[in-house]
Amino acid sequence: MKPWIFAAVTLVCLSSLSVAAFAQTGAKGSTNNQKSKPAPTTHGSPSDGEKRFQANCGRCHNAPEDISPREARAVARHMRVRAMLSAEDEKLILEFLAP
Amino acid sequence: MATRVLCLFLLALFAITSASAQSDVPIISGGAGFFSATQGGITFLQPVVAPVLAVPLGEKWLIESRADLRGFISREDGTTGPYQGQFFDTLEYLQIDYNANSRLTVTAGRFLTPFGIFNERISALWINKFQDAPVIAAIGTAEGYSDGFMLRGALISNGRYAVNYTAYFSTLSNVNKFESERSTGGRVGIFLPGTRLEVGTSYERTLQDQHMNSFGADLSWAPYQLPLEIKGEWAHSPSGHGYWVQGSYRLSQLGNANSAIGRLEPVFRMQQFFRNQQIAGDSLPSTNMRRPDIGLNYYLPHEIRLNGSYGREYLSHSTDTNVWEFGITYRFLFPLWPGESK
Repeated sequence: MKPWIFAAVTLVCLSSLSVAAFAQTGAKGSTNNQKSKPAPTTHGSPSDGEKRFQANCGRCHNAPEDISPREARAVARHMRVRAMLSAEDEKLILEFLAP
Repeated sequence: MATRVLCLFLLALFAITSASAQSDVPIISGGAGFFSATQGGITFLQPVVAPVLAVPLGEKWLIESRADLRGFISREDGTTGPYQGQFFDTLEYLQIDYNANSRLTVTAGRFLTPFGIFNERISALWINKFQDAPVIAAIGTAEGYSDGFMLRGALISNGRYAVNYTAYFSTLSNVNKFESERSTGGRVGIFLPGTRLEVGTSYERTLQDQHMNSFGADLSWAPYQLPLEIKGEWAHSPSGHGYWVQGSYRLSQLGNANSAIGRLEPVFRMQQFFRNQQIAGDSLPSTNMRRPDIGLNYYLPHEIRLNGSYGREYLSHSTDTNVWEFGITYRFLFPLWPGESK
């Protein structure tokens, strides 16, 4: 592929995403789709899964903004290898990502 | 040959995963970005897509891969002339993992060389807070990738501390897209979950040409009380030694993480390299170097991040230069094929 074509396609896609993101900054509510946000903290007390996520994965990056249960399994398995997590960590993080 | 092998692998992968349970749906994740860097008046543009494929198989197996597709565009004569570009495609890892138990994962294939913390943990373009890698990232990583097998896991893991490890052997490979050095090495780290503090030490020995040893130490700290991250590495090889240390502070305490100010994240990085001897192809600066960078990231909704940074590069036998970098990154995640949400 020619670099120029690759550059143009990448730039157009990212610009479109950026404009859409700017437009939605501060917008209230959310669309109802198949994906969901990771389980929110309840009563100010984070779940075990959230604790494990923040202790391990959260040191380098945030949780995905939206994730479906179908996707969460592969994400949790990937993080188990990357972050050298135990089977219990993987299970709890999976519950946090896709309750 | 490599293309045929890759096609056959992907075909087999598709057949296996099609037959597997719906809950084991593979994902495509990763990042895309567009970067601009101006150093000494010369500007380079880089469109990048770095997809990650993760395919869970049953309860214990995972196939995962990451590629880096990158254009590199600049003017023909540096600051004048028509723009010209090159296209690079790199297979960064293609590995199969077997989670034997909570303390051991066995990996085979092509993997990121586990030396220090940058290569394995921070090099993804949507994670890295600067668009370029520290200059000492080349020490101990053998261009970043290894072909062979690796053992990794947490020897001890409890609520107070964890001891994690990686150990690998890489074979010499001249196969197109799968080039690697014959080497061995690993890393041991101690992590304190209560404070999110980790220190580690790494070792690599090349087992071809001049048998060279590289050593490294790393530190990572992200206190819970503050949106602060501090990371750093020191590394030594026969070529020389150096360090980088990086701090970032998300302004989420001014309002919240989703406010206009709370989306800002100032970042700072200092790095130095001290040349010991010239070794061909070591991918390190040819002379002593130091470079402070200061930058600002802005986290938009939908996993989009804008970043800009300024650095000043001081070389002992050359003119000092300014380095301006601007970029936009997008983190994506979707299932490999559509289906019901549950």
